Formats: sequence, C-alpha cells, structure tokens
Amino acid sequence: MARIELKNIAKSYGTVEVLRNIDLDIQDGEFVVLVGPSGCGKSTLLRMIAGLEPITSGAFEIDGKRMNDVRPRDRDIAMVFQSYALYPHMDVARNMGFSMEIRRDAAEMRKSRVAEAGKTLGLSKLLRRLPKELSGGQRQRVAMGRAIIRDPRAFLFDEPLSNLDAALRVEMRLEIARLHQKLKATMIYVTHDQVEALTLADRIVVLDSGDIQQVGSPLDLYERPANKFVAQFIGSPTMNVVPVSAASGGVILADGTFLALPHLDDTGLAVELGIRPEHIDVVDPDADALAAVADVVEHLGSDTNIYALVEGLGPIMVRVHGNIPAKPGDRLGLRIQAPNAHVFSADGRTLQRDMTGAA
Amino acid sequence: MESRAVITRKQNTVERGETRARRSLYWQYVVEPFVYLSPSIILIGAVMLMPLIIGISYSFQSIELLRPFNTGWIGFENYAKLWADRKFWIALENTFWWTFWSITLQFFLGLGLAMLLNTHFFGKKLFQALVFLPWAVPTFLSALTWAWLFNPVIGPLPHWLTALGILSEPYNILGDPDLALWGPIAANVWFGVPFFAITLLAALQSIPGDMYEAAEIDGASAWQTFTKITLPFLAPMIAITVMLRTIWIANFADLIYVMTGGGPANSTQIISSYIFTTAFRRLDFGYASAIAVVLLILLMIYAVILLVIRKKLVKV
Repeated sequence: MARIELKNIAKSYGTVEVLRNIDLDIQDGEFVVLVGPSGCGKSTLLRMIAGLEPITSGAFEIDGKRMNDVRPRDRDIAMVFQSYALYPHMDVARNMGFSMEIRRDAAEMRKSRVAEAGKTLGLSKLLRRLPKELSGGQRQRVAMGRAIIRDPRAFLFDEPLSNLDAALRVEMRLEIARLHQKLKATMIYVTHDQVEALTLADRIVVLDSGDIQQVGSPLDLYERPANKFVAQFIGSPTMNVVPVSAASGGVILADGTFLALPHLDDTGLAVELGIRPEHIDVVDPDADALAAVADVVEHLGSDTNIYALVEGLGPIMVRVHGNIPAKPGDRLGLRIQAPNAHVFSADGRTLQRDMTGAA
Repeated sequence: MESRAVITRKQNTVERGETRARRSLYWQYVVEPFVYLSPSIILIGAVMLMPLIIGISYSFQSIELLRPFNTGWIGFENYAKLWADRKFWIALENTFWWTFWSITLQFFLGLGLAMLLNTHFFGKKLFQALVFLPWAVPTFLSALTWAWLFNPVIGPLPHWLTALGILSEPYNILGDPDLALWGPIAANVWFGVPFFAITLLAALQSIPGDMYEAAEIDGASAWQTFTKITLPFLAPMIAITVMLRTIWIANFADLIYVMTGGGPANSTQIISSYIFTTAFRRLDFGYASAIAVVLLILLMIYAVILLVIRKKLVKV
C-alpha cells in the first residue's frame, strides 16, 4: 500500500514536450483514473510511474521516498498492459506465478498463491492452458492475476479493457471495482473511456496535450468542469456549446434571446455557453422558448436523444428522460435550465459560480 | 465441363450396371487428383527421386570408370569395403569435429552479434552492413584468402598466434595434421556467422517489446529475462537454423578442398570431400555412392532427432 506523489513532473522526447507541470498526490488506497484523448500523454505518465520511461524532470515519490531512478523491478508496482503481455510459452499458472518464480519463492507457496488467485478470478480450471487457448476476457483475468499475486504496493492499469467487447468490458469493469474494494490497494488506471473513468474512479485526472486540465471526483468534473475541454470531454452525450455575447446578469444567445444566469457573479467575459443535453427541457412549440425542429430522433427506451436545429443557433442535442413521441421534422420548443448552464471565456476557462473545483 | 461429364457418366452407369459405376468412382477419387498433381509429381520425380534412386542403386554396383568391363551388381560389397576402410572412419570423425566446432562457434558468435545488433548504438547501420559482408564473398575467394592468411610467408596469423603463445613458432597450421582442420573451421566460422546473425536478429526483432517490459516489472534480472523470455522465443528459429546449417556444413567441402585438399595425410578429409575425391579423382562411382548413402542416413537421423527435440521445446 502506498502513497504516490508526482511533483512537477515533465517528460520530453528530444525537443518535444509531451507532459509538463504534472502535480498529483495519490493517497494510499485511492483509485485514480487518468483520462484524456489519445496522444494526451496519459499512458506515458503511467509508464513513467512504472519505471518503463525515464522521467525528464520533477520528483516521483512513493511513501515519501524518491523513486525517479529506481529500476522497475525495485519499485514493487504491478502493471496490467493493454495487450496483457502474457508470456505465450508459459501456461496460466506459470504466467501468474512468474514474479514468484523470479524471486525463487518456494514451489508450494507459489502453487497455493496461484491457486488462490485463480479462484478469485475464476481461472481454477484453466491453470494448465497456454494463453493462446484462452478467450480475450480470460487473458485479461490472467493479466490481473499476475498483478495481484505479487501483492504490490500499487497497481497500474494501461487501458486494460480496450481489447474486449462491450458486454465483457462492463463485466470486467465491475470485477476491477470489486478487486479494488477487496484489496484496498492504490490503483492508477489509464483509459480514454469516460464511462470507465466515471464508474471506477475515486478521483479523475483529465489530461489534454500534456497538461492536467482538472483533478476531481467524477461528480465534480460533471457539475463543475474547470474549462471547456473538460466540460465537453466528460459526460455523454457531449455538452452543447453555443456562442453568446455577454450581458449584465446573463448572456444573449445568437438568436437574440436573453438568458438570465443569476447564479454567476460575473458574465462579462462570456463568449460561449455550455449546456448538457439532459439539461434542456422540451416544451410546447408555441411556448416562450427556443424554436427548434427535430432533425434526428434516437429512441433508447430509457431516454430519447433529439438532434434539433434551433433557429439562429444551429444544432443542439437534447436528451429527455423516458420515451417521448417525437419524430424528425416535428416542431419543438427548447428551454435551457439556466442553473445548470456553464459559461466559458474566450480562453476556454469556465466562469465559476464559486471557487470549488477550480483548477 | 469436366465435372458435368463425370456426373453424366455416373447416371448412365446406374442404368447399365455397377462395374461402370465403380470404375467412375475409382476414376473420380483415386486417379483424377493425381492427374492434377502430375506436373509437380513429374518434376519432383525427374529432378529428385530418380537421381536419388539411381544414386542409391549405384552403391550396390561396381562402377569404376577406370575398369569399364568390371561393371555389375555386387550387393553389399561396397558397404563391406566401407566398414573396413580406415580413411572412411577418419573422414567420419573429421566430419563430426568439423561440423561440431563450425556450428557451435558460428551459433554463439552469431547469437552474440544478433543481440548486439538488436540494441541501439552509434554507427549501427554501418556495423550491420559489415557483419553481413562475409556472406556475400564467394566461398572460393574466402578459402584462398584464409589459406594465405595462414601462410607464414605472406599472412599475419601464424605470427599473431605465436605472439599469443598458441604456436611455438610461426608455421603454417594447414600443414600440421593435428591442427590443419582448425584452418577451414576458422574460415567457415567467419563465413557462416552472418547467417546466424541475420536469422537470429530477425527472430529477436519479432519478440514483442511488452514481453520485456512485463518481465522487467515482474522483477526479472537481465539473465533471467534472457533465459526465460528470449531463449524460448528464439527456440524455434534456433532449432531450424541449427539443423539446416548442420546439414549444409556437413556437406560443405568447398573451403576444405581449396584450403587443404583434404590433407595433410587425410587429416582434414571429411565425408563429403572424400566422396568428391572418390568419385571424381578415383572415378569409383559405386563406392562414392555407398559413402553418400551413409552420409544421407546419418544426416536424416540427426534431422529427426532435432525435430523431435524442437517439438518438445517449442510451445508457441
């Protein structure tokens, strides 16, 4: 179990800077998810923690001890790779017990630990199989077994579920959540899938082009995104963003509608308004609301997604709970729930209602 | 067209009687496939099987061009003569040591080079090109060059060996029955290392990088990584290349023939050079064929053993 601290970490390949000013304090037993679009440096950061990539500058500490130049084998960190990286010439039992084989632990001890981990992960019947004789989900379990058998100070996951199909991904996600509850170990998890991030994390770190955009709990990021990037990255479907002009006590939409935003202190710098699809109400087309026409309607059963074209504003997506009888071409009235609206300045920052959650 | 004809015939034969039906099935399943295969069967038969059978049949005959009237079947006489032939046993022993040292040194130096070339260092491309160069030099030229290198009058090697204390004085080891075999072996190692370096480098490069990363995180030392990850991955390639090279080297008389001609006193005669001498110098084709058959059998036994070992070792 370990507390992991990253202090002003940076990474560059030659003159190309891929990560900068990374400050992160991960508590013992915390589940932290690094999330961001591909190429944002999240996997590089994880590999630096594992010791597979040298750290260009800054301090990396585990339990207060500087670990920058400690070899991976001496960091006592386990990692689950995206490709699983199972040894193809070893059977499941040997794959899982490989770290103990390396440490020359007694054979009986190795065997009992492997059996125990196999039971936890439902692999007991597969211990003699080679990786090529396993399905994707089973391989994934073996990779996790190899990590837990070591009882390491921290677990690293590098997009562990991205090679699985949708159903299996949900199942393995639950398994990982259960594993974390059981082991209470420090876990750092990299993903580009915000659903994995929102469901697993105690805290989410949103990265984009080498910078930390925001650190916070899943709800924090959803309710109080620090900037436009986080606002649009977190939440599905994506938040609508429309241009506005500032006015006192609110903003004026492109079609001339004034939207009062009394919960914001100062909207003077506002250039854009962000509103999540679930924070728009569909009302009678003749009511005092934005006039729109439904373009595409998706009936999901539990929700209805409407891609509407708003006069003077352009496309807006609306998500309504339940099943409403809308169809393409219908006239709709849309009303923005003002308390849930976000306003962004020209540089993409959120104009905050209060200071909590500010980056 | 073809298949329709067959079907029609089948329908006819049902009416007329079962012998025709049986014949058409026989034609369809037994004869017809071989008609399609015949071009390759004829080719293989003409260029491989026939010469092999004729060669084996020679070993049971007396065919000496110098005694043209003495030709005829003699049963196992050639083999009996072989059993009592001291030169054959010397050649067999020489073949063993020649092959063993050549393959061993080639393999380990080749593996070392391949592992070196699999890392990153300044000037790697140039070094790589140089390493593979010997492979491109004609055997004949390299044999002559090495023979000269071992000649104390023009070559530096005897003087260096003397300076290192390996030789008492700078003389030509190719003229010493105890050491002469080491001359062609040295040339062969120089000549054959690139082959192992190329093939093993290719195999090394095909090992996924995350295997090493996983092993590193699992705590493996460099030696453990080599024995538990690298070697198992290389095993299939090692088995195949060692087998191929062994067969080639056992048959590879060019270097020996140019450098020592089998001498002095047969001390560098290997079986394939002995076959060559017997067939084309003494013009005794019957006896040469008998030696060749023995060599063929020995190499086949070797190949079978190696393939069995490979099957046991290789799990991937």
